[in-house]
Amino acid sequence: MDSKYYLTWEEYLAEHPELEDKPTQAIAPKIQKYEDAMFVFIMDLLL
Amino acid sequence: MIDAVAMTNERNQLFRDLFSGKTPKRVPVSNPATQDFAIQYAGLDLAECQWDLTKLEPVYDKFCQDFFTDTYPGGSIRIPSHYQLLGSTPIVMSSSGFMQHPEVVGLLAEEYDEFIASPYDCIVEKVLPRLFTELNGAPGKVAMSLAKAMRAQSDDLAYLGTIRAKMNAKYGYAGMVGALTEAPFDFMADFLRSFKGISGDVRRYPDKVAAACDAVLPLLVKKGTLPNPSMLGYTFIPLHMAPYLRDKDFATLYWPTFKKLVETMAGMGQNVQLFVEQDWMRYLDYLYELPENTIMRFEYGDAKLVKEKLGKKHIISGFYPITLLQTGTKQQCIDKAKELMDILAPGGKYWFQADKSVINFEAKGPVAENMSAVLEYVHENGTY
Repeated sequence: MDSKYYLTWEEYLAEHPELEDKPTQAIAPKIQKYEDAMFVFIMDLLL
Repeated sequence: MIDAVAMTNERNQLFRDLFSGKTPKRVPVSNPATQDFAIQYAGLDLAECQWDLTKLEPVYDKFCQDFFTDTYPGGSIRIPSHYQLLGSTPIVMSSSGFMQHPEVVGLLAEEYDEFIASPYDCIVEKVLPRLFTELNGAPGKVAMSLAKAMRAQSDDLAYLGTIRAKMNAKYGYAGMVGALTEAPFDFMADFLRSFKGISGDVRRYPDKVAAACDAVLPLLVKKGTLPNPSMLGYTFIPLHMAPYLRDKDFATLYWPTFKKLVETMAGMGQNVQLFVEQDWMRYLDYLYELPENTIMRFEYGDAKLVKEKLGKKHIISGFYPITLLQTGTKQQCIDKAKELMDILAPGGKYWFQADKSVINFEAKGPVAENMSAVLEYVHENGTY
């Protein structure tokens, strides 16, 4: 999805290079989970 | 004492068989009444209980005890707290406590191109501020409102999930999971362009309507995707606008992206349950084309024709007229269930559900007694 308001982990990481030397295997699913949760919340408002 | 684990296992097997096209041991049954009905049936105030969810556990316990069903009854996505916190105009609570959806326009006709270019950005920047007053204003206020609302919905859904888990453990329901999405054309109509708006757009800007449906399809696929597709999960898609379209508009504007949506879900190994609202009899040949074992719950139409045209390929459900529960005698209600079972059950691929949900309860009315009799009848007489 091409949007300012939804980022994949790769897009997020590109915007936050400070995370590159952090445990990204633990960070990625957490960041993605909340990205997806917000998407579902927004779409639920229109269903 | 109920052996709830054994009952869950048995019911899970019913649905595994049903959804995979095998004939189950008996016809699976779902209670058509909703949380709204359950609250009134328990004699409690509808509005108060939807705000104070701690009152709901005994409500559900009584509901589950008194009405046979193989699947957890009730549940709600229309919980008032987050709608209130957002200043919702498309979903509002009526004075009687029912959550209602007035006709709204979230997207103006002149914004089609912007929507087509980036549907999610347009939803966030244009549609939501127009429909939710607390999302229209200073960025700080919008951020605070969004945070409060999302937290409220998360808390409420978690609480309802706890009640559901307790009832499943006590009554041994099938362990079903679901996701919700919409056909792209219906999504464009319901909260964005409105019934009246999209009806005019079909004539004035058909190319833009088609392009908007194409653009929003990936969002609706994502919305309908279960985290872990399984044989006991399904994506629920209520269908709204097709009966109000001319055949040629259905063929060019509604069907292509709807078909892609269902095919994409099925391609991911995910079951799909369509709520085929109103009368789709002129579209049966289209429905036949959908992936095998698509679950189709019909509201109106000819059950015999549907069984004949679709019943060997798809899973048929619905048709039971809930108005009869209000107007008929107990025997008439049971006879109607028998009539539908005689038509739809042979050969399997049948799930007993009603034509729509029962939301209202009158203490002196016949609905509860008739509904209980029908659910018991199908349970006791649905063995293959």
